[in-house]
Amino acid sequence: MNNPVLLIVIPLLLAFLSVIIKKAGKWLLLVGLLFNTALAFFITTGETIIGGFAPPYGINLVVDQFTLVGVILINTLMLITIVVSFDLVGKYSIVLLTALAGINGMLLTGDLFNLFVFMEITVIAAYILSAQAKKYHHTITYLVIGSVGSVLYLLGIILLYNLTGSLNMADVAAKLPLLTTKELLVPVLLIFIGIGVEVKLMPVSGWVKGVYSNANRLIAPLFASVIAGTALFVFGKLFVSVLPVSDTLTLLMLIMSVMTFVFGEFAAFNQKRVKNILLYSSIGQAGLVTALFISGLVYAAVILLISNVISKLIMFTIAGAFTEKYETDDYESLNGVFVHNKFTGIAFTIAALSMAGIPLLIGFYAKLNILIGFFQAQNYVLPAIILLMAIVEGAYIIKLLLALWAPGKEGQVSEKSFAVEKKQLLSVKNTIICLIVALVIIAGGVLIDITEKVVTDGQPLLGDQSPSFTISQSKGGE
Amino acid sequence: MIRVASLLLLMIGLYGLLSTRNVIKMIISINIMELGVNIFIVSIGFVTNGVAPILTSQVNSSLSNFVDPLPQALVLTSIVIGLGITALGLAFARKLYKKYGTYDLAKIGGMKDE
Amino acid sequence: MKKIFIGIFVIAFSVVFLLAISNSVDLFTYNDSLSSDSVSNGYINKNVTKNQSEVIFNETTDAETGSANIVTSIIVNYRSFDTLGEVTVLFLSAIGVSLLFGSTGKLAERKKSGFILRTAARIIFPMLLVTGTYLFTHGHLTPGGGFPGGAMIAASFLLLYLADEKFVTAIEKIKLVEGSAGTLYVLIGITGLVTGGYFLANFIPTGTVGQLISSGIIPLIYVLIGLKVGAEITSVVSRYLQEEVTS
Repeated sequence: MNNPVLLIVIPLLLAFLSVIIKKAGKWLLLVGLLFNTALAFFITTGETIIGGFAPPYGINLVVDQFTLVGVILINTLMLITIVVSFDLVGKYSIVLLTALAGINGMLLTGDLFNLFVFMEITVIAAYILSAQAKKYHHTITYLVIGSVGSVLYLLGIILLYNLTGSLNMADVAAKLPLLTTKELLVPVLLIFIGIGVEVKLMPVSGWVKGVYSNANRLIAPLFASVIAGTALFVFGKLFVSVLPVSDTLTLLMLIMSVMTFVFGEFAAFNQKRVKNILLYSSIGQAGLVTALFISGLVYAAVILLISNVISKLIMFTIAGAFTEKYETDDYESLNGVFVHNKFTGIAFTIAALSMAGIPLLIGFYAKLNILIGFFQAQNYVLPAIILLMAIVEGAYIIKLLLALWAPGKEGQVSEKSFAVEKKQLLSVKNTIICLIVALVIIAGGVLIDITEKVVTDGQPLLGDQSPSFTISQSKGGE
Repeated sequence: MIRVASLLLLMIGLYGLLSTRNVIKMIISINIMELGVNIFIVSIGFVTNGVAPILTSQVNSSLSNFVDPLPQALVLTSIVIGLGITALGLAFARKLYKKYGTYDLAKIGGMKDE
Repeated sequence: MKKIFIGIFVIAFSVVFLLAISNSVDLFTYNDSLSSDSVSNGYINKNVTKNQSEVIFNETTDAETGSANIVTSIIVNYRSFDTLGEVTVLFLSAIGVSLLFGSTGKLAERKKSGFILRTAARIIFPMLLVTGTYLFTHGHLTPGGGFPGGAMIAASFLLLYLADEKFVTAIEKIKLVEGSAGTLYVLIGITGLVTGGYFLANFIPTGTVGQLISSGIIPLIYVLIGLKVGAEITSVVSRYLQEEVTS
């Protein structure tokens, strides 16, 4: 019974059931999350047909190594996020269950239109969840941009249907080489922009600031790591294995991605609020991941994506706790907050340093892979930009960490020279969970060979030809 | 021709979105965009002199010249999703109006102590 | 002034967009027949799993999907997973609306409606209900199906709301219908998984194309969809109306 369709169907069933059994809603959510996380580890690669009609006629779910990594990662992250903030779930359990179904559907489906449907489920759940914030007029912005994105995506896939006569991803991919760049220009760009809304690419990421910066301890990590991670996995699947297109289009999309990356990192540098720093850094990292996918460096992209979503999960959870306990997340008024909460601080610091690319953490390994990958592909422009941005990134992360660890500040007089009063940020249970997740970041970086084996299972991701580079390999090559 | 018209509807919706900050008008604009795309989808399946893809006692063989049934099935899904988004958007709009007393996003944004 | 600029921009963008898109799709001429490489040929001839070249109304039996309405066969058989997702979208937005408005809505005094209006509404109400039911029970034979049928049922309740100031729907009961219809839909799918090996696979004989009792699980699912959509739209409508009078 390790049919991947159950990953989608069981949460849906539980969502429908919790309308009937109102009181059990929260527990059904927990059951659904535990079931999905457990099942995700037993899924094997292969194709699952739905309804008994083989593709391209029917809808199928495709599990390859890439999707498998995504399914395990995203389901586990969602479980952790919700367990940490289980007290905030309240009446939103049905929405979260449906979002769980939608996310798994997005990751698994092998059909372009089915992807649209599941994307809508996830996005509508996200609209509802984002309205939990006090300033929910940002939700309207999100809803408007999101709807435009889905309209454009829909237009894109219907143009592809007109050109290829099919909606199945594998079938479309097989028929694309027969088409010219001219014919593909509009549909591919429309799909790119449509997915770009969720991936947070630059021209269409106007909603991110309002929504993320007002989200609470539950919603912020859910958006930044679970939903954003899913969107990036879907992006990778679409633009590496389904719509690998000609040079002109690639260049155009690459420019947009890199612009997002540069803009995101610089904007993060200028922010004062912890959540704003994190959200702009998410935008930047999303731009980098999409740039890697478009350049064909799948393995590097996946490692960066994994390291980024895990870091963001910890950091957004703690940033949410700042707003909850201190009613602000301006880091200048939070000086020394981690001195009161050492273990929380350690988890946050590990996550942040991994993002900055300090050796021994998984983020370093991710960055190294990217650079080696580009150098081997004889590409020197992008590594230069990435290195430059790494300095910017490092600068704001160090600034942020110093502010949060250093007790007190000149001119700010308060009890025992601490700028903030002593409050427990996270409960003991949540601190332990955060520390365990932080341990994964360290382990993933130290035990690189195991990480690589877990992620790729010895096979190239998405049938991509670009090799994966471990440190041992690159040493051997020198 | 209908394809051009439907794409123009899309553009009219886009103009609406860019030119107004009124929540209700924005939701109407989104609806116009969706309508444009929906008409476009149906027009993709159009076949000259085609008949509706339903077997009846008059059109009793599947070898008849049917129009493409798949876009019609897709458009149903698209319409229902549009309906869901509209219902939700209007609910947000009502909530906003109750809180701020206006539908104008520019004014609401200015009211906030960000 | 700003609007004029936006207008000029959009017009310029439209021209560029239309020119670009005309490379991908022919904007002015239409096909004379369905292109042979389209997946729709399989849907029309119902030969995705079975080897058959023609389907004849009232003659073909035991086809892979027994629906005379080909669009229905796509919605409920070939691409049924989309439809499950679609129902979920509607379910989610109904949940969202009720979460946003909360359950405080007590109906305030509405304007009293006249005797003629009230009586006429009560006469039309069952007719609408029957038409809606007809639409979703005959979805595999005629145009229509679960979604329009459900919308019509919701419209009949809306009519009562508008015409009778004392009318209130029991939202709890509507929720019950909504939840159980959704649950049953998923359970039918799982039954297909257990008996046929595929989620949402057909496990009932499909009969003769064109008969009322035919096409396997299609009528069953369409009845559920009809009830679910009807319940969802009714709950959305009643939430809005309660919101309207309390605010």
